[in-house]
Amino acid sequence: MTRPDGTERSWSTRREDKQRRLERAAAFADGRVLKPDRIVEALETIIVSGDRVALEGDNQKQADFLSRSLAKVDPAKVHDLHMLVSSISRPEQIDIFETGIARRIDFAYAGPQSLRVAQLLEDGKLEVGAIHTYVELYARMFVDLTPRVALVAAEKADRAGNLYTGANTEDTPTIVEAAAFGGGIVVVQVNEIVDVLPRVDIPASWVDFVVKADRPAAIEPLFTRDPRLITEQHILMAMLAIRGVYERHGVVSLNHGIGFNTAAIELLLPTYAQSLGLKGKIARHWTLNPHPTLIPAIESGWVESVHCFGGEVGMEGYIEARSDVFFTGPDGSLRSNRVLCQLAGQYAVDMFIGATLQIDGDANSSTVTTGRLAGFGGAPNMGHDPGGRRHASKAWLDLKTDTSPLARGHKLVVQMAETFQSGGVPTFVEELDAIEVGQAAGMPIAPVMIYGEDVSHVVTEEGVAYLYLARDEEERRAALAAVAGVSPVGLRHDPARTDDLRRRGLVAYPEDLGVRPTEAKRSLLAARTIEDLVVWSGGLYQPPARFRSY
Amino acid sequence: MNSAALLARDSFVEMGARERARRLLDAAGFRELLGPFEGVESPWLARQGVVPQSDDGVVVARGTLDGVPAVVLAIEGAFQGGSTGEVSGAKIAGALELALKDAEAGVPIRPVLLFETGGVRLQEANLGLAAMADIHAALIALRQHVPVVGVIAGMVGCFGGMSITAGLVSRLIMTRQGRLGLNGPEVIEQNAGIAELDSRDRPLIWSLTGGEQRVATGFADILIEDDAEAIGQAVRAAFAAGMPAAHASQRVAFWRERLAQLPERAEGTALRRLWSENGSDREAGDE
Repeated sequence: MTRPDGTERSWSTRREDKQRRLERAAAFADGRVLKPDRIVEALETIIVSGDRVALEGDNQKQADFLSRSLAKVDPAKVHDLHMLVSSISRPEQIDIFETGIARRIDFAYAGPQSLRVAQLLEDGKLEVGAIHTYVELYARMFVDLTPRVALVAAEKADRAGNLYTGANTEDTPTIVEAAAFGGGIVVVQVNEIVDVLPRVDIPASWVDFVVKADRPAAIEPLFTRDPRLITEQHILMAMLAIRGVYERHGVVSLNHGIGFNTAAIELLLPTYAQSLGLKGKIARHWTLNPHPTLIPAIESGWVESVHCFGGEVGMEGYIEARSDVFFTGPDGSLRSNRVLCQLAGQYAVDMFIGATLQIDGDANSSTVTTGRLAGFGGAPNMGHDPGGRRHASKAWLDLKTDTSPLARGHKLVVQMAETFQSGGVPTFVEELDAIEVGQAAGMPIAPVMIYGEDVSHVVTEEGVAYLYLARDEEERRAALAAVAGVSPVGLRHDPARTDDLRRRGLVAYPEDLGVRPTEAKRSLLAARTIEDLVVWSGGLYQPPARFRSY
Repeated sequence: MNSAALLARDSFVEMGARERARRLLDAAGFRELLGPFEGVESPWLARQGVVPQSDDGVVVARGTLDGVPAVVLAIEGAFQGGSTGEVSGAKIAGALELALKDAEAGVPIRPVLLFETGGVRLQEANLGLAAMADIHAALIALRQHVPVVGVIAGMVGCFGGMSITAGLVSRLIMTRQGRLGLNGPEVIEQNAGIAELDSRDRPLIWSLTGGEQRVATGFADILIEDDAEAIGQAVRAAFAAGMPAAHASQRVAFWRERLAQLPERAEGTALRRLWSENGSDREAGDE
């Protein structure tokens, strides 16, 4: 079509531009394989100033060879990039803002680098587009944040550019899809280039370049909880949760957080829950990373299926030998997928249960407790009641309190927290630190992790609050205060009121649930050490060195 | 061990000091000397902002082992890392001296030490050190008459002055979880640097000080699973075996010869290769 001024508009500028960049970069490649020693020059031709660049980095897998190489490009040639990094974990991901290579960032989590992010923000060297949750950031890659260049990590590639991402597939297919079909360029670092791949996770036609990394992509064993560190208080809370939530509502499909409380639940399934006759009635289908603490429950026949967001270092061999339980490829190894697991976690499972660091009187919670701005990760998505759900299940319907013909069920969103953190810091507080931190960082909304209106249950060492049964806000607050111990929120509780709430089932103390606190012993744990988990796995689980002792 | 055995097992490591002593002794006749209700506490801790414990972290338990009168000295690792202070040290030394009186009078006595300690309590430094001297003097006198059995179950392990005590017993029993060493790994890292020893490298730490290594190289005698029943049997068997031909700490020539052939890099596997052939024959004696 001719424009009013008589010129022809091209409708394939991105493809043409991509083609020009690929031709320039061909000087540093042998076919699709980039020369590792020319990677910096290659990036200087592939990436153009002002580009939106997706750099793969989640809480587990990091494309660290590419991020270290990007930090070496000449800021005179490449500058003012707009970075999309789901989890800022490595120093060089931030270094590029100091040198001017990058200027703007959209991210979901900044755990280890959160202090530097805040500092650079204050110095005006870094602009934050938004702090997302994982799925929001990936979703926006298909709307208004489509990457021009994607720098990602795979385990192996063949010379044609097919990729094997294996157990730690995680976010890679999503980022690659957004870039490859959005006219962007996909550059992949791999640990190995081989002739034959175990399986193809991402086809070569989506990939522009592969490069062999100087060392294997950094992967963190983030979901390994040493049973040695589970306390009797964790065990008591796990017993309360099993009786007061899992058994009460018949929770069959679920997601667990990564805290020691939920690790204790996993380790009580083959012992305490088994003695209650709950096997087969609860906790059969999981959306969960391959937690080593789930091994005894799997081995005891509790677990029918586990779909994973990511992998876990040391679990590879065990997973391969348990393909009935895990999603595995024809080669036997795990296929994880963060976005699909998040989707499953929102719409397909009946419960999210996890820990937090702060809860206010209305059950809003946040892990932002100090001057640092860590971001969200995936918890806000897992920890909410998705209004778009339409299929029913027993547990979901169990939370229906409204008798109207249009009423629907509710996902169980369970917060599990001790009333005090270590060092005598109360978990239950008058006001979340998140409000002040959010204001200081100029965020449009406070960084609340899970909103109180979504929370159905709160479990503490004192008991269980069934918030979904509350008739109004005031009753919700009273039920929460009844399990908040001697924290500032708990001190507000009125014993006479609590008696009434207990009678009406809004609050349950251990004796109301048939739980004896004196029985909360570590001997109830199916495994008490990492070594016990190795024994349970028949030697298939190979814990990383820092978790082994002998 | 398989998962069924894991579930059936009665973990000794998981027990506190009092439970360990109770579980170890014969079922009937357990009584405690200077128990928590007597309230003999450390007078020093409160002044330094540490909450004292009414047994000061040591349980002195009387009872019997296979019907023979016994005294179990169990250190509570959960209180101040099982450290030896004025009171806890005096309880151990006093109990060993009482056992010595019995032994000298020909009254049967089976003394057992359950170690779980980082050594002398820093808050009571000199008093703890003085207590060590009393403990060692009493132990050496006592072992002339009856065997003294030690157990290092874990997870604190046995370090500092108390590792010397462990070196003086007649027979030392360890689990794989247990660790034995003069300086704890954190102390070594702090003093000699992380290049010398990374205290968070747990496989390395256990390869040097863990129960399996210590038994393989002859610093401890018996390696046992973490199971209260099995440990109870091992302790009884250690007494049934009678006095060793020589106590390890008396075999000066033997240890000198070993030290003379220390390899260049004395890491765990090298020591095990070098010392395991001649390390197990501890009963032989060379005096």
